[in-house]
Amino acid sequence: MKQYDAIIIGGGHNGLVTAAYLARAGKSVLVLERRPRVGGAAVTEEIFPGFKFSMFSYVVSLLRPEIIRDLDLPRHGLHILPLESTVTPMENGNYLAAWADHDESRRELYRHSPRDAEAYDEYGHLMHFMARAVKPILSMVPPDPTSFAPGDLAGLLKLGRHFRGLGGERLHALVKLMTMSSADFLDEWFETDVLKATKSASGIIGTFLGPRSPGTAYVLLHHYMGELDGVFRAWGFAKGGTGAVSEAIASAARSFGAEIRCNAGVSKVMVKNGRALGVALENGDELRASTVVSSLDPRRTFLQLLERGDLPDDLIGDIHRFKFRGSSGKVNLALSGLPKFACMPDGGPGGRLHRGAVSISPSLDYVERAYDDAKYGEFSRRPYMDIVFPSMIDPGMAPPGKHVMSIFVQYAPYTQNGGWTDARREEFGDAVVNTVEQFAPGFKSLILHRQVITPLDIERITGLSEGNIFAGELALHQLFFLRPAPGWAKFTTPVRGFYQAGSGTHPGGGIMGASGRLAAMTILKNGT
Amino acid sequence: MKYDAIVIGAGANGLVTAHYLARAGKRVCVVEQRDVPDTSADIGWIPDVVIRDLGLSGAGLRIAEPDPWITAPLPAGGTLELSRDLRRSTEAIRRISPKDAEQWPEFCGRMHTLAGVLQRLYLAPAPDIEATDARELSRIAGLGLYVRRLGKQTVIDLARILPMSIAELLDDWFENDTLKGLLGALGIWHLKQGPRAGGTAFNFLHHHVGSRLGVFRPARSNMTQALSTISGVEMRRGAHATVLAKNGRATGVMLDQDGETIAAPLVISSAPPRATLEPVALELDPEFARAVRNIKARAVVARGSLSVGSPPPYSTLCIAPSLDYLEHAYDDAKYGHDSAAPYVEVQRTDGRVELHVQYVPPGQHEKLAATVAQVLQVQPSQVQLQPAEESLYHGELTLDQILFMRPVPGWSRYRMPIEGLYLCGSGTHPGGGLPGAAGRNAARAIL
Amino acid sequence: MSLRTTPFHSRTAPLSEGQAWRRWAGYVVASSYELSHDREYHAIRNSAALFDVSPLYKYLITGRDARRLLDHVVTRNVAKAKVGQVLYTPWCDTDGKQIDDGTISVLDEQTFRMTSADPTLRWLHLNASGLDVQIADVSDTTAAVSLQGPSAREILQLAAERDLGALKYFRLTSAKIRGIPVTISRTGYTGDLGFEVWVDSGRAVALWDALIETGTPYGITPAGMLALDVARIEAGLLLIEVDYFSSRHALIESQKSSPLELGLAWTVATDKERYNGQAALDAERSRGPEWQFTGLTVDWDSLEQLYADVGLPPRLPTQAWRASVPIYDRGGRKQIGYATSGGWSPLLKQYMALAHLGSEHKPGTDVRMELTVEHRRKQAKAVLTPLPFFNPERKRA
Repeated sequence: MKQYDAIIIGGGHNGLVTAAYLARAGKSVLVLERRPRVGGAAVTEEIFPGFKFSMFSYVVSLLRPEIIRDLDLPRHGLHILPLESTVTPMENGNYLAAWADHDESRRELYRHSPRDAEAYDEYGHLMHFMARAVKPILSMVPPDPTSFAPGDLAGLLKLGRHFRGLGGERLHALVKLMTMSSADFLDEWFETDVLKATKSASGIIGTFLGPRSPGTAYVLLHHYMGELDGVFRAWGFAKGGTGAVSEAIASAARSFGAEIRCNAGVSKVMVKNGRALGVALENGDELRASTVVSSLDPRRTFLQLLERGDLPDDLIGDIHRFKFRGSSGKVNLALSGLPKFACMPDGGPGGRLHRGAVSISPSLDYVERAYDDAKYGEFSRRPYMDIVFPSMIDPGMAPPGKHVMSIFVQYAPYTQNGGWTDARREEFGDAVVNTVEQFAPGFKSLILHRQVITPLDIERITGLSEGNIFAGELALHQLFFLRPAPGWAKFTTPVRGFYQAGSGTHPGGGIMGASGRLAAMTILKNGT
Repeated sequence: MKYDAIVIGAGANGLVTAHYLARAGKRVCVVEQRDVPDTSADIGWIPDVVIRDLGLSGAGLRIAEPDPWITAPLPAGGTLELSRDLRRSTEAIRRISPKDAEQWPEFCGRMHTLAGVLQRLYLAPAPDIEATDARELSRIAGLGLYVRRLGKQTVIDLARILPMSIAELLDDWFENDTLKGLLGALGIWHLKQGPRAGGTAFNFLHHHVGSRLGVFRPARSNMTQALSTISGVEMRRGAHATVLAKNGRATGVMLDQDGETIAAPLVISSAPPRATLEPVALELDPEFARAVRNIKARAVVARGSLSVGSPPPYSTLCIAPSLDYLEHAYDDAKYGHDSAAPYVEVQRTDGRVELHVQYVPPGQHEKLAATVAQVLQVQPSQVQLQPAEESLYHGELTLDQILFMRPVPGWSRYRMPIEGLYLCGSGTHPGGGLPGAAGRNAARAIL
Repeated sequence: MSLRTTPFHSRTAPLSEGQAWRRWAGYVVASSYELSHDREYHAIRNSAALFDVSPLYKYLITGRDARRLLDHVVTRNVAKAKVGQVLYTPWCDTDGKQIDDGTISVLDEQTFRMTSADPTLRWLHLNASGLDVQIADVSDTTAAVSLQGPSAREILQLAAERDLGALKYFRLTSAKIRGIPVTISRTGYTGDLGFEVWVDSGRAVALWDALIETGTPYGITPAGMLALDVARIEAGLLLIEVDYFSSRHALIESQKSSPLELGLAWTVATDKERYNGQAALDAERSRGPEWQFTGLTVDWDSLEQLYADVGLPPRLPTQAWRASVPIYDRGGRKQIGYATSGGWSPLLKQYMALAHLGSEHKPGTDVRMELTVEHRRKQAKAVLTPLPFFNPERKRA
C-alpha cells in the first residue's frame, strides 16, 4: 500500500494551502475531500443554469500576499477584482457611501458631518498603525504562556517587546480595540450613526455578538490590514467567485505534485500507540501516511476523527466548551435585472452602486435589534445584510443582461427556536427579501431564482459545525494561544503525527490561508 | 490658614487619602459639597492595611457579615438561600440542582483564587507595562511569577475568563436559572452591559475581591461614618470645589457658591475625573482632554430605599430569575428606556432597607417606582428611588477602563498632567466598589 | 461624483488651453491655462498674475474666547495681534512638531479668519473645550483670489476705487469692488508685491470679471499652480506634503519637523501664554534644532559639464519639481540632507532648490546635489544659499 508523507483531511482553502506548501517542499501529499469539489465554504457553484454563485463566502479578505507569491497563484488563475465602495441606504431615503477616492469619500462624509469627515482621516491614520501592530501576530505560531519551554518564553518575550515597542498611544489603542465594542470604540471618533452602524456591522460578521458587545472593535482592523497588503489587493472579489481561489490553490498544489481526491470523505484517523498511521475513509478504504492533517473544524477534528481514548480529558472538555454558534445565513438570487435602490435610483455615476457592496445597516439600533432577535433564538426579522452583485464585477457569473445577487445575512442562529425546518428557511428568506424590498422597491419582481442557506445548511453541506463560518467563534477567549484549546494552539495534537489546520486554529477565519501555511511550516519544522 | 493639600470629596477614598497625608504630617483640608456624609457608597472590600493604618476598628468600623448572604425567590415557590458556610450553600443548591451542587465548591474555589490575583493587583498602583525602570519591570515579572505559581489552570483561567461574559462562564458551570441569575447580577453591577457581554466575568470577579470564599456580594460597612470620627484633617462641608491651575500647575481650589479660593500646592480630587478636569481643560493637551471626555461613565443604577412596616426576613433579596431576565433588562437600557422588568436587589442594613435597581439609564422615569413595586409585590408609594445621572463608579469597569487604562490610558498613577494635581477616587485604579483602595494607592503615590 | 469645482470655475474652465488641471483639497484647479506656464510665471514678476486660491480651508472663529483659542493653538502671539493684522503661523502638536501652517486674519476683536492647507475643523474643536467660541467652516462659502506682481496694487486700487498705498505688508482692509464687499489682505505665496481678495462665493464670478476687466490693460494674467510653484521656491516658502509632512500624517518620527527646523523660528513667540507644543519648542530652542531648512543654488558650470560629458546640452526641468533629492557633502560621499523642491528660476537665471540639512552647515558651504544624467546617477556642485532667493523691495513697500 502506498505510504504518503502527508494526508490532508478536508479540501477547504486552508487544507489546500497546507497541501501545496508540503508538496512544494517535496513531500508526497494526498488531499481527501468529502464533496465532489474542493473549496469547502469557498466554492462557486452553478446553482441555477447560467448563474454562478459563490455559495457561501463571497469576498476574498486578507488572502496572505506571501501565499499568493509563494504559490504563484496568479499563474494558477487567481484574479482579484476591486470591490471598492460601500453604499448604506438609510431609512429616510438618504444614504451614506464610502468611495474609493479619498476626496470623494471625504466629501460624502462631510455631507453628513464636517467633523466626522476630518475624524475619518485621523481614525484611518491610527488604524493603519494598529493594523501594522497586529499583523505580525497573524503569521506567528502562538507561544504557550503556561509553559516554561525556552521556545515559548522566547515567543512571549518577543511579543512583549513588540507591544512595548508600539509606544503608549498605540498600545492603549490596541487594548481598546481588543476589549471594546465597535459601537463604543467608534463613538469616540464619530457622531454619524449610519457610519458607525456600517463600520460596526463588519465587526459582527461571523460572531454571535452585536455592535454594542465588547470584543467587536477588533474586526474594525481587518479593512486596514487589507490596505497594508496594498498592491496585492487582498480584499476584493475573485474572478469566478471564491471557488476560483480554491481552484487556484488546488492547481498550485497539483503543480507541486500533490494528489487531490474528491468524493472521498474520511471517517477516522487511524491511531496506534498514540501515533497517527493514516486514515480510514467512509467507504472503508484505508490509506497510510506518516503525517495526517485535519483542516476540519476543531469539533470534528477531535471529537469525530479520533477516539475518546486518544485524547486527554481536559482537551475534550475544552473542545466541548469551544463555541461555534453559527449566526449567519446566505441568500443567493438570480435576477432578471439590477434592483433600483430608492436612495440612489440612477445607481450612481457610472453605475457604481452596483459595482460595490450595499450594506443594510442604516443605524446602530437597527443592527443591535437584529442581534436582539438572535439572542433569544430567532432569526432577525430585519436583518443586517452585506450585498454584492458579482455579475457587475465579473460578467461571467450570469447570462448577459441578467445578474446574480449575493446576500450575506445576520443573524440566523443555528439554534433557531423550533429548528430550521423547510418552512422556517423560507420564512427567513422572505424576511431577507422583504427587507431589501423596503430599500429597493420593485426588487422582488426581478427574482428569477432564490436559494436560501441557513447555518444548518452550511453545516450539512460544508461540515462546518453549527454553521459557524469561522470554524469557531472569533471571541477574545478563543483566540491566539487559546485557539482551539489552551496548550493546543500550535497546530499539533496529542496524537503524534496528527496536526490541525484550518480556521479553527490561529489566526482564525476569513479566506486568509494563514493557518494552512503556519500548519505546513510547523509540520516541515517538526519533520514528517 | 495655609494648607499643604486640599482633598476634594469626603467619600471613603477622599478621606482615606486625606488621613494618610495627615499622618505624614501634611496640613490637609477636605472640601465636600454635601452637608451630610453619603453612606450609600459604603459597599465593598476595605483593604486590611487601610483599616490597620488608620485605626478604623478603633474608630468603630463595622463590616456586615450577613448570613445567608443572599436570598432569591424560586420559580416554583420558596427561596434559595446561600450562606457563608460552603457546605450549607452546597446543600441548599442540591435541593434545586444536584449537578450544580457538585460544581459549587470547585467553582467557588476557582473564583476565589482569581479574585485573589485581582486583590494583589489592587493593593498597588496598576502595572506600568511601558516602564523602563528596573524596579517596575521586576515588579511586573514578580507578578507574572506569582500567577504562574498559582498553577497552569489559574493562568488559563485568567486568560480565558477575564475577557468572557458572565453568562458564558456560568453556563459552563451551572444549569439552574435562579442560581445563574443571582450570580450573573454581580457581573453586570454598575455596568451598561448585559450578562452576555464580554468583560462581565471580570466585573463579577472584581466585586468578589475581598469576599470570603463562596460569598458573591460585597460587604456593607459604616466606613464613611468611621472615617469621619478620626481627627487630623480640616473639613469644609456644603461647598463645591473647582480645581484652579495656571501654567501647568495646580494652585488650589475655588468654592463655587461664594468664589472663595483656598490655595495649596497639592490638590487631590476624589470626584469623577471628567468633572475634575473639565474646568482646567485649557491646561491640558487636547488629546488628553479628549481621552477624559471619552471616559465611559454611563449611569444605569437607581438607588433608594423601601419603606416597610417591619424589617424583612432576609438580609439581601435578589430579583434576577435568570440570565435571560437580566439580558432583557439590559436590552431596554440599550435603547434608552428603564427596564420593563428590572433587576432589583433589596438590602436590609442598620435599620434601613436599601434598593439597587438596574437598568435605569438617564431619561424619563415616570413608571419606574411602579415597575419596581410590581417586581417586589409592594405598593409604589413604598419605593423611593434616585436614578443616578452618571455612573457611581466614575468610570465603568469595562476591560478597556481598568488597570493602566484607568482613568485615562497611560495616566493610571493618580498624577495628572497638571503639576500638583492628583486623582484618588473610584474613577482611578482599582475602581469603584472598593472603598479606600484607590485612596490609599493615591496617597502613597503622592508621598 | 468627481472633484468639486471652485466658485470661479465657470471663468477659469474656458481659459484652459491644454486641459491641464490638478487636484487641490478635493477641488480641481488649473495647473496652467496656457499650454506652457512660462508667460504665467513672468506675469508674477512683470505685471500681475491672478490665481484662484479658493481650495484653501478657511474657518471663521468668533466669540469671547476666539482670540484665546487661537493663541492656544498657534505659535504666534495672537493675544497681541491688532485688528487688521494678518499673521502667518504654523501650529504644532504637544511635542512641538508642525501640524500645518496658514494665516490668521484679525477681522475684528472677536472675529478671526484662519486658513490652512489641511482640514483643521476638528483640531480647533478639540482645543476649544470649555471655551466660549464658535467655529464655522467657511471653506465652501468663501472664495479667494491672489493677485501678485508689480502691477497688483494699481489694478486693485482701480477696481476698488480707493487708495491702497496705506495697506501695509500683512495687513488687511475691507473694500468694495464694483459694489461687491471684499476683504483685501496684503499677503501671498510669491514673495512679491501682492494681495489676496476674499469674497463670498456667490459673488465670486462677478469679482473675477471686475478684476479681469480692470486689469487687462495692465497685463493681468490668470495663472495656474505651475507658475506659482516657481515663484514660491524663489521666495523660499515651504509647501506642506512636499517640504514637510504634517505630524498628524507622519508614519515615522523622522517624518516630523518642528517650526525651528523649517526656518520658522521667527513665528515661535517666546512671550505668550501656554500653547500647544510650548514646552517642547522652548527646550528645542535652547538645545538648538537638529535640522535647518535652507536654499541651495546649483553651480551652472558643474551642471553643464555633466551633460557635456555625454554630449548633450544641459537639460533643465521645465517645471519645478517636488521630489526628494539627496544632498551630499563636498566630497560627494556622505549624505548630509535632502532637497524637497527645486527648479529653474527664469528671473534669477539660476537652478535653485529648497533643502533640509543638518544645522551645522553654514551658508556658502559647498555641497553636491544628486541628479540623473542619461540614466546615470551624478552629482552637481551646489552652494548653500540663505532664503529667500528673491526678495524685492516692492514686496514690503
